[in-house]
Amino acid sequence: MAHAHTHKVKRYSGIKDWLTTVDHKKIGILYLIAGGFFFLVGGLEALLIRIQLWKPMNDFVSADTFNELLTMHGTTMIFLAAMPMLFALMNAVVPLQIGARDVAFPFVNSLGFWTFLFGGILLNVSWFAGGAPDAGWTAYAPLAGTTYSGDHGVDYYVLGLQIAGIGTLIGGINFLVTIINMRAPGMTFMRMPLFTWTAFITSALILFAFPALAVGLAALMFDRLFDGNFFDPSGGGNAVLWEHIFWIFGHPEVYILILPAFGVISEVISTFSRKRLFGYSSMVFATILIGFLGFMVWAHHMFTTGLGPVANALFSIATMLIAVPTGIKIFNWLFTMWGGSIKFTTANLFAVGFIPTFVMGGVTGVMLAAAPADFQYHDSYFVVAHFHYVIVGGLILGIFAGLHYWWPKMFGRVLNETLGKLTFWTFFIGFHLTFFIQHFLGLLGMPRRIWTYLDGLGFNEMNMISTIGAVLMGFGTIFFLLNIVTTSFKPKNASGDPWEDGRTLEWTIPSPPPEYNFAQTPLVRGYDAYWKEKMEGHSGMTPAEPIGPIHMPSPSILPFFMGLGLFIAGIGFMYAQDWGNLFDGFKLGYAIGIAGLLILFLCMFLRSVYDDHGFHIEEEEILRDKGGKA
Amino acid sequence: MASNHTATEENAKRHKVEGPKKHIIAFIFSILLTFIAFATVISGEINKDFIYIILIGLAILQVFVQMAFWMHMKDRGHTFAIIGILTGVFIASTCVIMAEYWAWW
Amino acid sequence: MSAHSHADGQLPHEPEKATLEGRNKVLGFWLFLGGETVLFGTLFSAFLALRHQVLDGPPAHELFSLPLVALATALLLTSSLTSVFAVYALHTHRVKALIGWLIVTVVLGLGFLGLEIYEFYHYVHEGHGFTTSAFSTSFYTLVGFHGAHVAFGILWISLIIAQLMKKGLTVVTAPKVYVAGMYWHFIDVVWVFIFTVVYLMGKVV
Repeated sequence: MAHAHTHKVKRYSGIKDWLTTVDHKKIGILYLIAGGFFFLVGGLEALLIRIQLWKPMNDFVSADTFNELLTMHGTTMIFLAAMPMLFALMNAVVPLQIGARDVAFPFVNSLGFWTFLFGGILLNVSWFAGGAPDAGWTAYAPLAGTTYSGDHGVDYYVLGLQIAGIGTLIGGINFLVTIINMRAPGMTFMRMPLFTWTAFITSALILFAFPALAVGLAALMFDRLFDGNFFDPSGGGNAVLWEHIFWIFGHPEVYILILPAFGVISEVISTFSRKRLFGYSSMVFATILIGFLGFMVWAHHMFTTGLGPVANALFSIATMLIAVPTGIKIFNWLFTMWGGSIKFTTANLFAVGFIPTFVMGGVTGVMLAAAPADFQYHDSYFVVAHFHYVIVGGLILGIFAGLHYWWPKMFGRVLNETLGKLTFWTFFIGFHLTFFIQHFLGLLGMPRRIWTYLDGLGFNEMNMISTIGAVLMGFGTIFFLLNIVTTSFKPKNASGDPWEDGRTLEWTIPSPPPEYNFAQTPLVRGYDAYWKEKMEGHSGMTPAEPIGPIHMPSPSILPFFMGLGLFIAGIGFMYAQDWGNLFDGFKLGYAIGIAGLLILFLCMFLRSVYDDHGFHIEEEEILRDKGGKA
Repeated sequence: MASNHTATEENAKRHKVEGPKKHIIAFIFSILLTFIAFATVISGEINKDFIYIILIGLAILQVFVQMAFWMHMKDRGHTFAIIGILTGVFIASTCVIMAEYWAWW
Repeated sequence: MSAHSHADGQLPHEPEKATLEGRNKVLGFWLFLGGETVLFGTLFSAFLALRHQVLDGPPAHELFSLPLVALATALLLTSSLTSVFAVYALHTHRVKALIGWLIVTVVLGLGFLGLEIYEFYHYVHEGHGFTTSAFSTSFYTLVGFHGAHVAFGILWISLIIAQLMKKGLTVVTAPKVYVAGMYWHFIDVVWVFIFTVVYLMGKVV
């Protein structure tokens, strides 16, 4: 109706803009900043771990602190660094790749970010509140129960992850609906870029894996805060049940992490080989298959628990099966490069470096999948080496490739190539130095999660080498930060297609894109939509609609307060036993907890009652943008 | 949308004729299945394992009826809804299998 | 393209799917229910794994009373039917009938919730507290999660009733009604498994 057009355009600027934004591109940047920050925190924790282990009988940190560092390094890197950085790339790129103006639920997108951030902050507040969680990132019962972890450390783990997990879950639903419902005309499923495909499957895994974690964490919370008996054998509980629930979530989680990296690698290799991705449909098929099998293999983390030969054999075979679709992917990347005119930009260096590194992680994975052999490797540094090869060598190299590749699209500036190559070589060499040697440490019998070790066991030199490698990785990260800072002072002059070989829709629009992404929704005529137009001699996409006013969602501060409310509720319930009574028989902590939840519900109420009419960006403004930036 | 207004109205009319009847039949069916389940347990005559199978079978049947008729899952345009729910059911079943076979050792 | 072009009474047959926002909401909610299925599946699996660990507390077959469960089941099942009628009224654009059926649904839901609170209160007095055993903890968690879903649904549908009274039936309010109806059916479906697995299977000795 007429009033929708005359609505006053609410556009904030500065800090207010960042707190209220529902624009997927800005939320992507927020995810990148927050995830990058937690990546540095987790990296610092890793360096402290390596410094403690660089020589035998070291006492750089106490054993208790070491346990905290170890737990927080794992938890932070998985939940607060890796996942948000993936969400950063997904937010920045997926809507552009499918030709959409925004995600399906812009408000929910913002809510997902703020709940993740407040959950992450809650988890890290523990450092300043008497001790971080120290039961390992897997928080196995009964160690994580009140009997052995009496302080609030694990409470922070339980509540922080619960809150951050809510954010991740709704983010996953958002991307699923976006990809199903918001594709541009002609963008069929089998024409979607592979990064979008992997984002799609990853979101599906999030949707079906995170509820299991939510239940596990809630059960552990009930055990710890309200004396429940889920995992406490003295109350009839079952400690192995926690392991099952955790890994039913936890194994899909590692595929949630790695699949988008596969997507990034596919895009980068294809672009810089100037070739169509080899075996596109088999890539899609392999992605789906990996996602499916990811749910069928959780017990391979528990071979030594004593599930019996039948279960072990079953899970062993299922695990080895995953090597098949993964192998398909590896060969497809190799064949994509075969005969291509390859440009070794920084992004492509990371992508090409990824391939052999990931293969090594995959091979040790198949070794670990053999149940009888696993009894030897289990809980040794061999396992540590394996999962760092897949997570750092797979995921982090993938994220670096993606960041260098899409940086101009996100920020309008191309990162410096010299510094970028320096980043790659220091990080890549540092990585292999740190973790390759750990395979042998594990085979020699060094247990994981150990605070220190005796002299004369033959561990000394290898640990020293590993620590040197970790420092080198630290330098690689510093070079990357340096690159970001120096680039941010350069003029914002990246063209729409800065690599000149862009194949997908995000390269058809300016860098960074205008608020509405596409002035006119493009008509997609095939896979690699932009490349197809280029090959037929067109300068851009055929529009699927005339230029007209574009409807945009209003910014909102509510998601921020909803995250804050959950944060307050978490703190309140956690300290209810310590803070005494507000009045007779009613604890102050519960009052604070309920107040936090009321903030949450009030925001939900306001969101439901007041309709979001949004606003329109008028034709003149779009034409002005087009004239200015074309 | 407004142009095919008459078509939608006709559609609504057709819906009106057959709509609530189907839902009431589904309701009676649900009540019946629930009744059989309760009666089986109360009679207490049958072997335990067999009762479990009957009860689970009745529950699955009832859920199927309710999802098809009340949640409109048999209607067109529910492809992704069905995929979503079925995947959820599949993964929930693996959890249940875990609890029945591998939680205790 | 504007979300408001239908606001003046010219509603299409399925107003919840008239706008892209509405279609997104319905699909997103379906997927959310897929996730909820895993959530309840995990709760069920925890209960199944722990249901024989009663320790000193009363065992399931002594504790549960089937008439109470039958009554609760009847209430929830009927409320599911009335919410179907509400969605039917939505599709035929009868706002008054829609509001009426939603109110009946909420009242039946409140009845169910009241029975459950009475039931829990009764069990605690029988020596079946939250901390008694792994059986009791997992029982209260599973049934309590379901009860919390019912309570949230009651608040949510009440809020929607108020909005329908104030704003009428539009392409903005229609998806809300539809999605809340799906949620309510889902709660009912979960209850079918709860009365089967928890109560009836608990009664079989």
